[in-house]
Amino acid sequence: MDAIRISNLVKKYGTVVAVENLSLDVPKGSMFGFLGPNGSGKSTTIGCLTGLLDPTAGSIEVLGERFTADSAALKRRMGVMPETLGLFDPLYAHEFLAFVGRMFGLDEATTRKRVAELLAALELNDSSKTLSEYSTGMRKRVAFAAAVIHTPEVLFLDEPFESIDPAGVSLMKQWLRRLTEQGRTVFVTSHVLETVERLCDRVAIVMRPGKLVWQGDIKALSQDGGSVECNGQRFDSLETLFLHLTGERYADLNWL
Amino acid sequence: MNFERIGDLVRLRYKLMWARTRTRNGKIALFFIGYLLLVMIVALLAAGGIGAAILAVRSGKALLITRIVLTSLFAQALLATVLMGFGMSAIFSDVELRRYPIGASERQLVRHLVGIIDPFWLLTLALELGLLVGLYAMDAASLLLGFVAVLLLFVSNYLLARVIEAIIDRLTKRGSGSMILMIGVMLLSFSGAIIPPLIKKYPGIGPATVKVLAYTPPFGAASAMTQSGTSVALGFAVELSWVLGLAAALVWFERRPYERRVVATTVLNFESRYDRAAAMLGFDHAPLVGWWLRFYTRNSRFKALIFLSLPIAAFLTYNFAAGRRQSLGWFPAAIGTVPIVTFFATSRFMVNEFGYLGGGFRRCFLLPVEPSAVLRTGSYASMVLSACFIPPALIAWIAFAPVPFDPREVFVLLASALTGMFIVHGLGLWATLYGPRRGNYSQSLGNDLSLFGNIVLIGGIMFFMFSPLIWNVVFPAMLQPAHWWYWIVPPVLAIAFYRVSLAMASAALTGRREQLMAVVEGRA
Repeated sequence: MDAIRISNLVKKYGTVVAVENLSLDVPKGSMFGFLGPNGSGKSTTIGCLTGLLDPTAGSIEVLGERFTADSAALKRRMGVMPETLGLFDPLYAHEFLAFVGRMFGLDEATTRKRVAELLAALELNDSSKTLSEYSTGMRKRVAFAAAVIHTPEVLFLDEPFESIDPAGVSLMKQWLRRLTEQGRTVFVTSHVLETVERLCDRVAIVMRPGKLVWQGDIKALSQDGGSVECNGQRFDSLETLFLHLTGERYADLNWL
Repeated sequence: MNFERIGDLVRLRYKLMWARTRTRNGKIALFFIGYLLLVMIVALLAAGGIGAAILAVRSGKALLITRIVLTSLFAQALLATVLMGFGMSAIFSDVELRRYPIGASERQLVRHLVGIIDPFWLLTLALELGLLVGLYAMDAASLLLGFVAVLLLFVSNYLLARVIEAIIDRLTKRGSGSMILMIGVMLLSFSGAIIPPLIKKYPGIGPATVKVLAYTPPFGAASAMTQSGTSVALGFAVELSWVLGLAAALVWFERRPYERRVVATTVLNFESRYDRAAAMLGFDHAPLVGWWLRFYTRNSRFKALIFLSLPIAAFLTYNFAAGRRQSLGWFPAAIGTVPIVTFFATSRFMVNEFGYLGGGFRRCFLLPVEPSAVLRTGSYASMVLSACFIPPALIAWIAFAPVPFDPREVFVLLASALTGMFIVHGLGLWATLYGPRRGNYSQSLGNDLSLFGNIVLIGGIMFFMFSPLIWNVVFPAMLQPAHWWYWIVPPVLAIAFYRVSLAMASAALTGRREQLMAVVEGRA
């Protein structure tokens, strides 16, 4: 069964096409990497998948149900870490997480227990600072904690690893693996290809404007001598595949 | 001083402002603001400035009238900046300017050059120059000396506003600061009622006060503009002393920003009293109402306005009841001013609910509730907080009302307050959707509302303030406690208006969310 089904998704801003006829199936229990260069429509696609944006055309199904911006019951089963993090700055981290936990239906005792555990695990122990006083990496950790606090069935992460230190990334990866082992689905966008290669089972690569150019299983890449095939060629890393599809650029600035 | 870089940065500020007019809404706003400013400058230059000058010379009281006009302009500019935030809009912060290759004093100069070229301050300058032109035309002032005097007055006015802003900012960040602020505002508000009887009782106070006032910038400027000989020098000396003193105070405040002393702690204080209060009041999505309550009550602007609300209402009531020739009396004045306490403190968020959320606005659409719940709960939280001001306002009326006290007055005032609260909150929903503006949550002063937001807020204040005059013409019985039952109708209509607005705005929110997100996140 597919956790996410995107059929002919189109998103236009006026006359500008951000996503063009995108169709994608994400199997349940998979760790799915959604890759593409800057401005290729990744965040727009996640925006449509999470109800932030209205698709111009096409349909989205999450966990077998049609998803729209008003699908409150379905949202309760989803966790999202948006690109802009979506934090309420005047709050303290524990207040924010408690708010999110309560909104997603956790009882007060469970919420407090999970908040304390998450903050301790993510080393966000100083509760005297509001979110506006946190560093970028700490804010990302809080946003990640908010996405997982209710153990969602489908988790959307928009560039979760950037700005986080290696120990934090390692911990996050550990949790994400555990989620997929439990049959939950993770949909992640990232520019850190090495992490995606080690973490994800499947990958889709899009080009501007949100056009799917490749998708497939990449588990072979994590094995010695493993490779994936694209357009009759074999690639031994996600980076070489990505650069092959998106094009390597070189500009000689003689003053630099 | 690197004046070239300073000039570049001042120009950058206006390039950024101009860039906003690239959108259709920006062009419309620019057209209206330009038109209004032009009309105001022409009208005020003629009536307020040159007109006053002609009157001053013809009546033979040039010094006295110049002092009165300049003091009024000076005080009005201060009131407008401190209360409504005009002319105190967010200029480049020191942190933003640190990325450019300029020094600390140059950064300070850039910030205040940008601040003083605000249209509001230019309007004040135009009025003062109007007076000078009038005096010059009537041969009662030197153009050059007068121009220097006006410039010094203008600079001291701006600097004093900034110093007051810095003091208020510090006060609102301290635990006891809000109380000190309230006492100060109360004293200021009631000075109008206290000073005239005092002067009547002790006639010696008047001349003594004038002697003291001679050392204020407006009096100094008036002397420099209209007098000759040593009086001119003394006038300039007074103005210059103020400019230097205020500049030194401002530099002192800006170099020593108040820092909240926080001890690092790992104790988690969930403060769920907000959620419990919301749940007790029977709201759906109590955590959402609880979050909005935290959002409001942690804001320094809200804290400052809480303590201004009641004194302002008291001041306006006094002004309308005792300070006007065609006064309708204390009770009708209170009918017009009591609604103001029901939206003044929360006004900034009421008309721009999402404008201070930044990236957090996205979270509202990721929560497992219908998107309109966020709009509704924000408005409910604002009303819960606003409603808290009604009992103290009514108690103040009961305590200070002119005798004989009629208990029916309390019902009328309550109904008037509720009418104001529901109507302005209803309009606030529309302003939130169709006039959003990206604001700075941590800024204590400054008017960062959109044109629509300002129309709702200032229009609301003006409408309710003058409503007794309208009632007096169209239906005078509304101003009499004996006809208290007539006052059942306005709140009922206001609640109906609020309900309809809430339903329609809720339905429109999902369709508007992409535009709102673009504005709130600074992409439009």
